[in-house]
Amino acid sequence: MNAKRIRFLALLAISLVFLFAWAFPVFWSVLNSLKTDRDALAYPPKLFFSPTLEAYRDVLFGSGSILPNLISSMIISVGTTIVTMLMAVPAAYALARLRFRAKKFAGFYVLATQMLPPVGIIIPYFLVLRNIGWIDTYQGIILIYLSFSLPFAIWLLVSYFEDIPFEMEEAAYLDGASRMRTLWRIIIPQVRGGIAVTVVFVFLNAWNEFLFAVVLSGNTVRPVTVAMFNFVSVEQTLWAKLAAVSVLAMLPVVVLGVVAQKHIVKGLTVGAVKGGGRR
Amino acid sequence: MSGRGQVEFKDIVKLHGEFAALKGVNFEIKPGEFFALLGPSGSGKSTTLRILAGLDAPTGGRVYIDGKDVTSVDARDRDIAMVFQSYALYPHMTVAENIAFPLEMSDLPKSEIEPAVKEAARKVKIDHLLDRKPGQLSGGQQQRCALARAIVRKARLFLLDEPLSNLDAKLRLETRAELKKLQRSLGVTAVYVTHDQEEAMTLADRMAVFMAGEIQQVGTPAEVFAKPNSIDIAGFIGNPPMNLVPARYANGSVVIAGHALTTTVQFAGERDVIAGIRPGALRFAIDGLKAKVDLIEDLGDTAVLDVDCAGTPMRVRVNHDDLPREGDTITLTARPQDIHLFDPETRKRL
Repeated sequence: MNAKRIRFLALLAISLVFLFAWAFPVFWSVLNSLKTDRDALAYPPKLFFSPTLEAYRDVLFGSGSILPNLISSMIISVGTTIVTMLMAVPAAYALARLRFRAKKFAGFYVLATQMLPPVGIIIPYFLVLRNIGWIDTYQGIILIYLSFSLPFAIWLLVSYFEDIPFEMEEAAYLDGASRMRTLWRIIIPQVRGGIAVTVVFVFLNAWNEFLFAVVLSGNTVRPVTVAMFNFVSVEQTLWAKLAAVSVLAMLPVVVLGVVAQKHIVKGLTVGAVKGGGRR
Repeated sequence: MSGRGQVEFKDIVKLHGEFAALKGVNFEIKPGEFFALLGPSGSGKSTTLRILAGLDAPTGGRVYIDGKDVTSVDARDRDIAMVFQSYALYPHMTVAENIAFPLEMSDLPKSEIEPAVKEAARKVKIDHLLDRKPGQLSGGQQQRCALARAIVRKARLFLLDEPLSNLDAKLRLETRAELKKLQRSLGVTAVYVTHDQEEAMTLADRMAVFMAGEIQQVGTPAEVFAKPNSIDIAGFIGNPPMNLVPARYANGSVVIAGHALTTTVQFAGERDVIAGIRPGALRFAIDGLKAKVDLIEDLGDTAVLDVDCAGTPMRVRVNHDDLPREGDTITLTARPQDIHLFDPETRKRL
């Protein structure tokens, strides 16, 4: 009994350490976003201060409003997610089900794209986009994001499709369903969890992306991750505003996480335990 | 419904690379018949069913349904319903939605679907479970749901792939009887795959016995039981299986373990044979084969004796009343018509 208790306390302590490490930056951002610039710079840091929404008002409605950037980010992320899913779902289904010659290689190359260091291809991407005049355009950034999100999404979804017994599809054919109808009515509803997980990951990756965005965007299309740096200059860093932007940038992610939480937890376990799905 | 669901397999061959899963299969199923495909695992019975369903294409040969060549017709255009071993219920749909699915796919109006679903569910006694999801059903209920989904469409052929194998023993017996009644009341042609000879014997009007990719015998269960036409079938049908012992034939009698028994089989000359005698056909006698009782398996009303007949092991089924004791020596005989003879070379019936 005692050993159990010690074990529990040890686990609790470790969890708290991790929780603190994860939560501290969030906590710091929220705290600073409610300070005035002067309070934010105070040393030692002030834990007690009169909170104000001034920073939020400034970054949302002030002269350097980041509202357009949030909208930019949203268009890029939603666009990337939609296009990715439209292509990844049929591709993953095909990889999971069909028998074709190059299947093994196709599977490998899908994964291989994930192994390239992004820095290595950023210049070629830039040159390609410049040549077709797509620098600083939504279609340009979405296209580049697709080159990463699509293989990732396919790779993630394949295992969900593979978990569905083939007999299920055969039953649907015998029941008179076409291949498309089988996919739509029988298969997709069963990989809902996997699709939810993939949507969240693809969206988050697009939303958080910085490296490509900073090179390939411009004045027209500038996602919030890039725009945030408006508050960092050589002379000074506007900590309160920077923190406020960070919090605003986090919001959609948190909302998405909460909404999709049920699916994610279920989806992750189904995907993790191979063949452990419902038979 | 009579007259629908006639099936003919003509020289069906199925190769998986070098391996021949089916080596030229021929049989015919009459409309309204309950036809079993029986055989050990890997004998080709499931492959045969899948070819009939259109889920697999044969490498050679033709499949006819109701006189029409359907060899290259798509599975969904064959008007065939099937119950899978795993049931293959759609887990995200309710029982009612599962049963309704084939009707929806044939674009039947909603007003006709609902009564048909209820009717099918009532026939298999799950009409109180229509709002449940398959995950909330017991194994037996899932099986019924799969049955209902198959019968709702009134297809011309009803295929069952080991539908009872996932049920426990008691439920299996109950469902077996109900399945037979259901098939009779619907008057539909049913093709039933099983490796369980007892299931095939009790359910089927006729059956085809598969061995290593070939049909070795087609007939009623009684015919196959009474006259198995090869050593393999003799050893496969019946529980416990037939005793198959090396013997010497001469002039209407066989010598087994030094003792001659008369048989009805007549041919000229003298030769080595395999003699087959069912455990239930052996009886106590004053004069006959001497055998030592090694082990008694008491089944309550009957018992199975493992005996040693001068070095040849045999099994005997006896009434519970006249049980010898282990270690006793008993004397056994069999009626002439109960002795089957097989060729040791070709393994065929003589």
